[in-house]
Amino acid sequence: MDLAFTPEEQAFREEIRAWVRSNLPEDIAHKVRNALRLSRDDLQRWAKILGSRGWLGHGWPTAFGGPGWTAVQKHLFEEECALACAPRVIPFGPVMVAPVIMAFGNAEQQQRFLPGIASGEVWWSQGYSEPGSGSDLASVKTRAERQGDHYLVNGQKTWTTLGQYGEWIFCLVRTSTEGKPQTGISFLLIDMKSPGVSVRPIKLLDGECEVNEVFFDDVKVPVENLIGEENQGWTYAKHLLSHERTNIADVNRSKRELERLKRIAKAEGVWEDQRFRDQIALLEIDVIALEMMVLRVLSAETSGKNPLDIAGLLKIKGSEIQQRYSELMMLAAGPFSLPFIEEAMEAGWQGDFPGGEAANAPLASTYFNMRKTTIYGGSNEVQRNIVAQTVFG
Amino acid sequence: MDFNFSEDQQQLRDAVRRWVSKAYTFERRREIVAEGGFSRAAYNELAELGLTALAVPEAHGGLGQGPIDVMVAMEELGRGIVLEPLAQAVVASAVLSQYAPADAQAQWLPKIAGGEALVVLAHQERKARHRLDVCSATATASGTGHVVNAHKSLVPVGDHADAFLVPAQLNGQIALFLVERGASGVALRGYGTQDGGRAAELQCTNTPATLLTQHGLTALTLASDVANAALCAEAVGAMEQTLHITVDYMNQRKQFGVVIASFQALRHRVADMKMQLELARSMSYYASLKMTAPAAERHLAMARARVQLGQAMRFVGQQAVQLHGGIGVTDEYIVSHYFKRLTQLEMTFGDSLHHLGEVSAGMQETAGVFA
Repeated sequence: MDLAFTPEEQAFREEIRAWVRSNLPEDIAHKVRNALRLSRDDLQRWAKILGSRGWLGHGWPTAFGGPGWTAVQKHLFEEECALACAPRVIPFGPVMVAPVIMAFGNAEQQQRFLPGIASGEVWWSQGYSEPGSGSDLASVKTRAERQGDHYLVNGQKTWTTLGQYGEWIFCLVRTSTEGKPQTGISFLLIDMKSPGVSVRPIKLLDGECEVNEVFFDDVKVPVENLIGEENQGWTYAKHLLSHERTNIADVNRSKRELERLKRIAKAEGVWEDQRFRDQIALLEIDVIALEMMVLRVLSAETSGKNPLDIAGLLKIKGSEIQQRYSELMMLAAGPFSLPFIEEAMEAGWQGDFPGGEAANAPLASTYFNMRKTTIYGGSNEVQRNIVAQTVFG
Repeated sequence: MDFNFSEDQQQLRDAVRRWVSKAYTFERRREIVAEGGFSRAAYNELAELGLTALAVPEAHGGLGQGPIDVMVAMEELGRGIVLEPLAQAVVASAVLSQYAPADAQAQWLPKIAGGEALVVLAHQERKARHRLDVCSATATASGTGHVVNAHKSLVPVGDHADAFLVPAQLNGQIALFLVERGASGVALRGYGTQDGGRAAELQCTNTPATLLTQHGLTALTLASDVANAALCAEAVGAMEQTLHITVDYMNQRKQFGVVIASFQALRHRVADMKMQLELARSMSYYASLKMTAPAAERHLAMARARVQLGQAMRFVGQQAVQLHGGIGVTDEYIVSHYFKRLTQLEMTFGDSLHHLGEVSAGMQETAGVFA
């Protein structure tokens, strides 16, 4: 047992750190550091910078043009990006659909879609949830009927994150109603510019439109956009979910936000309040315990032994921590987190925020926004079912 | 970064686990509790397994193993809620080998390794609660040596110990002494503890004592850190077994015509217990891995670990009893004994609130496993 990274890994970290420092635009880092609004352009600018270095698909194997990093290297890369206040990589293209295309797509599909994902040129969205299919994803109803050389798609997806920016969407669609719900699902790639696709943003409790409804009305999708075999989509979707291991814990971002919480607590005068400070200390301990848990999973993956069966725990704890730091930030500012002045969440706003501390403007909104973390990606209650299943056998 | 155990460590684990399951059964433990809470015979069996020699340097007849080996052994002893205090041998080994003069090392370390001498830490005073720097025991120079006047409480298996590590004020600072059981002025009053184990009040009246170090607080802090890392590992073993017992029970117990393991409200509770266990295991690894760090970093790491472990011990213990229902609150059934052990561990070497205070006071701008 050894806690230290190898000298090679340390050198790798230094290399990443230096590169991120000199390539991450300061205006973008500033927004991330202060939880200000990020535009589509901000997100895509960073994606393309990563893409030009070959690191947007940083989890990709070399066979598909990725760096072929180890689990530890990927972790170090993600940590350095998070600590430097880089925006999160929008995962739908490089992290979610790309591995499915690599594993189950044909050579033609790989050549057609992977380069645009790797470079950050093409914005992908995820079409999984439906109004009637949340935790029970296998019940999707969006219909795809084979008609000659195309599918005719009708139905509705929802909670499509940043779908208003999307150019392509990967969807779970129903191609059969025979047998168990899981057996009649197919995995389809749909050009969002196709006639019959419409997107309606959903305003959320924080006032932002982070998610969308996507409607499909007699949309013609060429059969060559089907991944793998018809009715095998559920298997591919599960493969995709298995690619979400340690990064779902988001511990690196939580470490950064813990530092921000301390800055806010100092600015607001509660750092010396023992009752408040103890709450920060409890959160700090949780963050360290989560980091240790992530490192244990990485070690298990690296040594090629059975990956530890604690992925569900990582999701539960990671999301609870995200909610907690956002809650404590809001509480630190107290009443001065309550003014709702949307312009104050834009970079460069020069107005007079009540209380004089414009950094307080996004705190309550972030708290409200973070309620999503225990709901998405398999609600924490579903995760507990999965954890219990592994314990009871 | 590597969290795998070496082959030797795996063998150590297997050996201790075998001994616990074969030789330290619930029935035997029950007899030991009835006889007062400590069995020298069982302690000697730990010595035969080589465990009392684990942390003694090779130069003094020990195995010279590090904190991870200790952790492995403690996890397995915790699994069997073994009452005989191996952790005390580890603490005494660390303190003596790092702080005692050469002749004291030569005199005591080989005997600790072989199990002939049980040397325990006697630091608890009424007014100190969990603080290490509060000490009203006094020492004065006498002839070529020193005499100690002290009243120490809750000394682990005190009336069976052969020698005591006793902090006392000397020339305005805390120094650490070794007091032999047979020395003049030593009075011991033994009693049972809530977990079925044993402790004693130690009274020293003008008792001749060997000065180990004038830097008593530094040595005592090391002792506390060593004890806490061992305690974390012990708790992980105890919690793992507690969860195992509970899940077994839930798979058999039927109500409303079905096994209670089928109820979602209860399954989610078990998932929460598993969460606490894995967070605790992660922080126990962290604690043992940080034993080789500089003193300040080491001490902060123990406090962080103990907060996590404390929360976990309380939750897992309480929920294990709850999920068992009525049988959980009986003396006859095993789970209440795990619960009581976990409760006592949480209050030993600082409770969760004490450790939270240390973490809170020591917080820096940046925090993480490596900071």
